[in-house]
Formats: sequence, structure tokens, C-alpha cells
Amino acid sequence: MLPVVKDALMYANLILMLTIGFTLAYMTAKIPNFAHGTLAGLGVYSTFTVSVLWKLSPYVAVPLAFVIGAGMGVFIYKVVIGTLRKYGATPVSLSISTLAVEIMVIAMLNIYADDIQSRGIYARAFLLRYKDFEFLGLPGVLLVSTCLVVAIITVLHLMLTRTRFGISMRATVEDPDLASVLGTNVELVSTVSWFLTGGLAGLSGSFLPLWFQGGPTIGSLMMTSVFAAAALGGLSSIYGAMLGGYLIGLSEILGTVVLMDMIGSWVAAYRMMIPLSVLSLVLLRYPGGLVGIVESMRARGLSIRRKAKIGNTRLRP
Amino acid sequence: MIPIPTYLEPVLKWLVDMLAFFAIYLVVVVALNLQYGYTGVPNFGLALSVAGGAYATGALTGRIAMALYGVGQGLDFMHDNSQITALLNERLRNDPVGGILILLVVIVIAMVVAGGLGFVASYPAIRLRAEYLMMVLIAMAEAILIIGVNYYPLVGGTFWVHVPDLFAWMGGLRWTGVTLVILASSILVFLAGQAIVTSPFGRLLRAVRENETTAECIGKDVVGTKIRIMVVGSMIAALAGVFYALHTQVVLAAAYTRTDWTFWPWLMLMVGGRGNNIGSLVGAGAVISARRLIIYFKHDIQPFVPIQVVWLEQIMLGLTLILVMAFRPQGILPEKPTRMRGLNYRQMLERLAGKSAEKTER
Repeated sequence: MLPVVKDALMYANLILMLTIGFTLAYMTAKIPNFAHGTLAGLGVYSTFTVSVLWKLSPYVAVPLAFVIGAGMGVFIYKVVIGTLRKYGATPVSLSISTLAVEIMVIAMLNIYADDIQSRGIYARAFLLRYKDFEFLGLPGVLLVSTCLVVAIITVLHLMLTRTRFGISMRATVEDPDLASVLGTNVELVSTVSWFLTGGLAGLSGSFLPLWFQGGPTIGSLMMTSVFAAAALGGLSSIYGAMLGGYLIGLSEILGTVVLMDMIGSWVAAYRMMIPLSVLSLVLLRYPGGLVGIVESMRARGLSIRRKAKIGNTRLRP
Repeated sequence: MIPIPTYLEPVLKWLVDMLAFFAIYLVVVVALNLQYGYTGVPNFGLALSVAGGAYATGALTGRIAMALYGVGQGLDFMHDNSQITALLNERLRNDPVGGILILLVVIVIAMVVAGGLGFVASYPAIRLRAEYLMMVLIAMAEAILIIGVNYYPLVGGTFWVHVPDLFAWMGGLRWTGVTLVILASSILVFLAGQAIVTSPFGRLLRAVRENETTAECIGKDVVGTKIRIMVVGSMIAALAGVFYALHTQVVLAAAYTRTDWTFWPWLMLMVGGRGNNIGSLVGAGAVISARRLIIYFKHDIQPFVPIQVVWLEQIMLGLTLILVMAFRPQGILPEKPTRMRGLNYRQMLERLAGKSAEKTER
């Protein structure tokens, strides 16, 4: 496999996990969580701690990162957003508060990095590929993260369609007031969503330093791709987020390589222009994202016959 | 010149430094207040406008001066930057008119550039929900930072570019002089902001903020108003970039980060009170004094805390924002009904008729 394809698949996996979390958080709290990227930073440093400081396999860090990220996600939702909501904060205030959280988390990661550096280990930019194993000529992190992505998609799909909790989650997203009237514990559902959100971001971060260079701000650098992926997915559906995340992740890396061939290697530094232009184009032409396109096609009656066949009982995911 | 006692010197120096920062940030906060406080456009990409202004200053001041004075023939503007700047400073020392002319040209160009950037950056999402606009603007601000850091001919990439000292003719009083000039300009900007919000256009801004549908119903162009205020605000914020470049005499691409030029102005606005220009003045003053005090006493604080003071400062001010928004969301000075300017014909006629003036309309 070409190294470029490995890069692209790896990046797509990371972005996919982040985008699912970002979209889920947006769907339940109705605000963009700008601190989402730094939750991945927590994952990055848990991998660093486990593999470099404790000298264990980096994969031990994966569940740890999930727990840390999930804890932080719940903290942001319950403590920061919950408190501000209680005092009647507006959505814009809530968004700027997540920006404040981002700055504080980055500061904490820097403090932690300082602490490690005082012991003589460089901890601001690191690549831990050498800690990884290889299987059939493929890097372990690629295999593990791909398997995990498939597992996440399956579990989320089953949860949303087959379990009572998943259905109450969808109900909460559609209409929180109505859902709570019907006996759904909206607060619990939102908290669990943010738990998953943070956990997925942590997972994404825990794989990152095994393939890309990690550091305190790496998570917030990935946010443009996440925004683009979430907007492409439509910010209203988990499935849209999955598709958007994968498309953006692949196109960002592969597109850069193609452009580097065509124009010159200096293009590499401007990689984030690809998600940025996708974001702008999507919002200009299809503000609903992929989900919006599908819905508008449905609305235009392109699939009336099929709709009649499956009936209208099927809930919109 | 009045002799200054030696013990006062550090205090004065600190005061001048703080005034300069206060003036620069006041400009940004006035711009943000126009955009968010009065119109409700959440500009999370303020750094974009500031960076636009600063990059324009860094890239153009030296080049314009080179063309004007014809110095530095055969030298590369970027590679021999210090040499060229030294040559230019030599010429500018005896040429106040030239310096001021270059400054005015640079300010105009910087404002045009930043206005264009504000338009382009907000255009994709200005019609959509506020969240989309926030995301696009954050990403755009990040993009200009990446261009600045990677595109060497602009402002020297990861290096920096010197800004020739356009106030070199002030001689030894240069530092104080530049600070006073910046302060005076920022007060002008503040008054201009006040003029905008007390004009009928200001009333339109508030109408858009309070209820877009109603504003649309009475025939106002909501999207057009938002685009206009994005452009106007970006142009004002660009001034801050120019002033900052003049103050530090150097443009470092990587300095225009989200934390410094988006987050701090938001904090100032939230502390001072949105929708109130006096509030932004108070907020800018409060946050800047806090920050400058922390930076000034950094070495005295350092032994008592186990962590770097920079991170402590960031955590403290981040916490401040959250606490302010929880316990005093309207800020120190809440928004008051603004007295509108504009012609009040009845009152004018009454005054002409010699009657005592009635109470003016709110």
C-alpha cells in the first residue's frame, strides 16, 4: 500500500471519530463545541504518557483516552454549559465559553508538557510510530483504528435503531420538549451523548501520535477539517457525519498529494485550504449538507414510489 | 523636557506600554461590539481582520518606503530586511511628511484588504445560522495565519519583517509619541463607533439583532446589513493590526493567533458589557490592566507558582470569562437605551419658534 493511502486512511479515521462526536454534541446541545479538538489533545497526551513514560504498549492508552475524553466531555456539558444555561446564557455565550474551555485545556496540556520536559523528555512535538507494531506489512494503528471505526459505526447504528435509549436519543434531538413530555430523561440522554462525544475525541487523539506528529495544539489544528466534515454531513445526522468525516479525511490528504504533483511541493503547507474551501462551497450551495441534498431529493418526489413501498413509518435517522 | 525622577521611570514605562495595548485592543473591541454587541453577528474570526491589517502593514510599509526613497536597490526586501529597514529609518528620521504620508497610504490599503477579507470570509455563511458563521470565521482566521506563516514573501513566514519606523522623526520621544498617536486614533475610532451606533444605521443594527424577521418585514435588508457591518467591523479591526505593527515595529506572522486576537477581545467585550461602547472601553481597560500586571510582575510571581505564568494567566482569564457569563452576563456596564442622533424636526421648529425644547426623543 502506498504511504499516501495509509496517511489518507489514517487521517480519515481520526476525522471520522472527531466528526461523529462534534455532530452528536451539536445535535444535543445545539451549540458547536469548539473545545472538541482539544479533547483529542487529551488523548494524544495519554498515549504519550502510557508509551513513553510508563513504557507500556500504546494501545493501553486507548481505553484510558476514552475515559479521560469522556470525563472531560461530561464536565464541559454538565459543569460549564449546564451552569451557564441555568443562568440563562445565549447560544453565542455558550459557544464562546467552549472557546474559553479550549484555551484552558490547551494551557493544562502545556503545563503537563512542561512538567514532562522538566524531566528531560521532549514533549511538545513527538511522533510515536516506532512504538507501533506491524501486521502483514500494515501499521498496527491503521488496522486497529479502522476496526474500531467499523465497530463504532455498527454499535452506534444498532444503538440508535434497536435500543430504547437510542430512540429516546433521536427523540431528544428532534424535539427535546416533546421528548421530555413523553417521559424521556432529556438531561441524561444529553449527558450520555457528551460522554460519547468526549470519548470518541479521546480515542481519535490516542491514535494520532502513532501516525502523525502530536503536540498540545494538534487537536485544535484539526478543527477546520472537522467543521468541514460536519457541515458536509449536515450537522443533523450521525450517518452524515460518518460520510462527511471519511470524505473530508480522504480528500484532504489525497487532494494535497494530487495538487503537490500538479503545482509543486509547497502546496503541502496549505493543506487546510481544502477542507476550508469544501466548507465554504457546501455552505454556499448546499447548506443542509449531504443530508440536506438527500432530503431535498426526497421532497422533490424523486423516490415517491420507493417511499410508498417502505411506507412512512420509517423514522428519519 | 521635564526631568523625571528615576524611581518613576519604570512606572511611566509600564504606563506607556499599557496605554498602547489598551488603545490597540480598544479598537478591536469597538469593532467587535459593532458586530456582536449591536448587530448580533458573532465574529469568531476577529484575528482574521487584525492579521489582515498587520500583514498589509508588514508587507507594504517597507516596500512603499523603498519605492518612495529609492533606497536598497539590488537588495531583496525579505532577505536583507534589517539592512533595508536601517536605511529607511535613516531617511525617515528627517522626513516627517513622508512618514505620515506612507502611514496614511498603508492604513487605507490595510482597511481595504481587511474589509475585503471580512466580506469573503463571512459571505458563505452570513445567510445561515450563527453556528455556521462561527465555524467558517474561525477556520478563515486559522487560514490567514497559515498563509502568513508559510508564505515567505508576505511577512517573512516563520521569521518576521521589520516595519520601518514611520515616527523616527520624533527622535528620543518616539515611544511616547507613537503611543499618544495610537491612543488619539483609537479615541477617534471609539467616537466613530459611537457615531455609528447613535445614527439611524445604528438603530437598524439593533433592529436586526433583536428580531430579524421583524426587520425584514419592515423592509430592511437583514443580510445586507450583516455583510455591511462585517466589512465595517473588519476595517476597524484592521486598524488595530496596523497600530500593533507600528507599536512593536515588527510583524511576526505567528503572533496573530485565535487566543490573542479573537479570545481576548471577546473576553473584554463580555466583561465590559456588550451593546455599550463605554462598556467596551471599561472591559478593555480592565482586562488589559490585568494582563499587563501579570506580565509585568511575571518574574515576581514565578517563584510562588509551580507552573509557567503564561498558562496560569490563560486559565485564569478563561475562567473569568465563564464566571462573568454565568453571574453577570450583561457585563460591568449593561446596555442602555441609546439616545439617537438625527434631525428631530418638531423640536427644531419649536426651537425656531422660541418655545422651550421638549424632551428629546429616545
